[in-house]
Amino acid sequence: MAVESLNMLWKQVEEGSVVLLDIRPQGAFTEAHVPGAVSAPYSRMGWAPAVRRWLNSQPGGVAVALFGDNRVLVETAKKALEQLDVPVAATFEGGVAAWQAEGLPLVRIPNLTADELVKNLQHWKVIDVREPYEWRSGTIPNALKIPLGELPHRIHELDPKARYAIVCASGNRSQAAAAFLAERGFEVGNLAGGMSVWLGSGHPIERG
Amino acid sequence: MIWVPLYDTTQGCSSYVIGDEVTGRAVVVDPLETVGVDNYLLTAQEWGLAISHVLETHVHADHRSVARALAEAVGVEVGLSHRAPVSYPFRPLREGDRLELGQVALEVWETPGHTEDSLSFLVYDRLRAPEPWMVLTGDSLFVGDVGRPDLAVASAEGAEAAAAQQYQSVRRFLSLPDYVEVHPAHYGASACGGLFMSKKPHSTIGYERKFNRLLQISDVEAFVEQQLRLLKPPPEGAARIRGENLGLVVEA
Repeated sequence: MAVESLNMLWKQVEEGSVVLLDIRPQGAFTEAHVPGAVSAPYSRMGWAPAVRRWLNSQPGGVAVALFGDNRVLVETAKKALEQLDVPVAATFEGGVAAWQAEGLPLVRIPNLTADELVKNLQHWKVIDVREPYEWRSGTIPNALKIPLGELPHRIHELDPKARYAIVCASGNRSQAAAAFLAERGFEVGNLAGGMSVWLGSGHPIERG
Repeated sequence: MIWVPLYDTTQGCSSYVIGDEVTGRAVVVDPLETVGVDNYLLTAQEWGLAISHVLETHVHADHRSVARALAEAVGVEVGLSHRAPVSYPFRPLREGDRLELGQVALEVWETPGHTEDSLSFLVYDRLRAPEPWMVLTGDSLFVGDVGRPDLAVASAEGAEAAAAQQYQSVRRFLSLPDYVEVHPAHYGASACGGLFMSKKPHSTIGYERKFNRLLQISDVEAFVEQQLRLLKPPPEGAARIRGENLGLVVEA
């Protein structure tokens, strides 16, 4: 994609006239994505119908663009949408490195390994976004317990100057929570693999 | 661990996408032209993985590989035995090398016999245990059989020497615990094995220890004799296919 049209694409994403679907796996999206992009990891099974349903639930007049890091995957996703008569206005297959090389912005959320987090626990406030029934297996000491669904209306409890490590069972929900907080200006990291790795590594836990 | 075998059912070839769900990194072993580069990319994507390593257990003589094309599509070098006589740049692998995906890791064993450059990969999932869980045996140990020794050598003496190497290589697997899963590069009627190769693509060390006829032979000469006596005809176009997989220009 030419630089001018890339800048044009970013302008349209920013003003909301184009919705940018990031087709990469969820983990890659969390690590770095275009501000405002929507995570929609491509799959041959049911992806295009699900995207169409979602688009139909959005306000009309929004065009679709695809963001990925591999030509084959981007082309396959584009064809799948076009087969359902969903036009694709633009595609970008250079991934986050090429996007950033053009000076365009990214939201980045570092992945923390359990070993890194336990060594640097004094520098992070931990938010455990699991459901209450999951806390019985143990939580990271002093973690704030905010189930994912409660995060949007409890965001005022958080300190905008703190660094938050987001934790769930396997690292999936925490990715969503971390992306949500990062887009709202919080400095966050995501515990890769979640409590399954933390517990498996024998790191300290709190029960109760 | 994410474990996705992809087969070519017409030729009895197996390839593997093995991933670490924590880091999202994946290795592809022995990718097949019949499965296709796009299929490996799409499969990895669907399991939430990005391919960080492309490996071959050896340079194949029975089917076309897409290891180079896949490696190029994801921007890495193919990992091959340092003994592989290929004409293109690759990442040389040696005995004891470890490829780390995260909690999942592969350890390289050099297991010559089928070819001089044959490798096996022990697979670890440290989220479960520090011990290996499965072994990708390439064309050394098969389910019910072992890999033939004659496809990459020029003479009868060469095949005999390779069969003797194969004896040492397949017996080495007997040092592994019974529960370790065996995942070879072929199954069924593939031309790379002998008469006893099972249609079932996977087994365990314990089952093969007990019931693989070639592993019952504890004498190298008897093993070599049996291997050479039971040879099938070589796969059609073996020399040409191997030449292409080596990256050589081959006359049609």
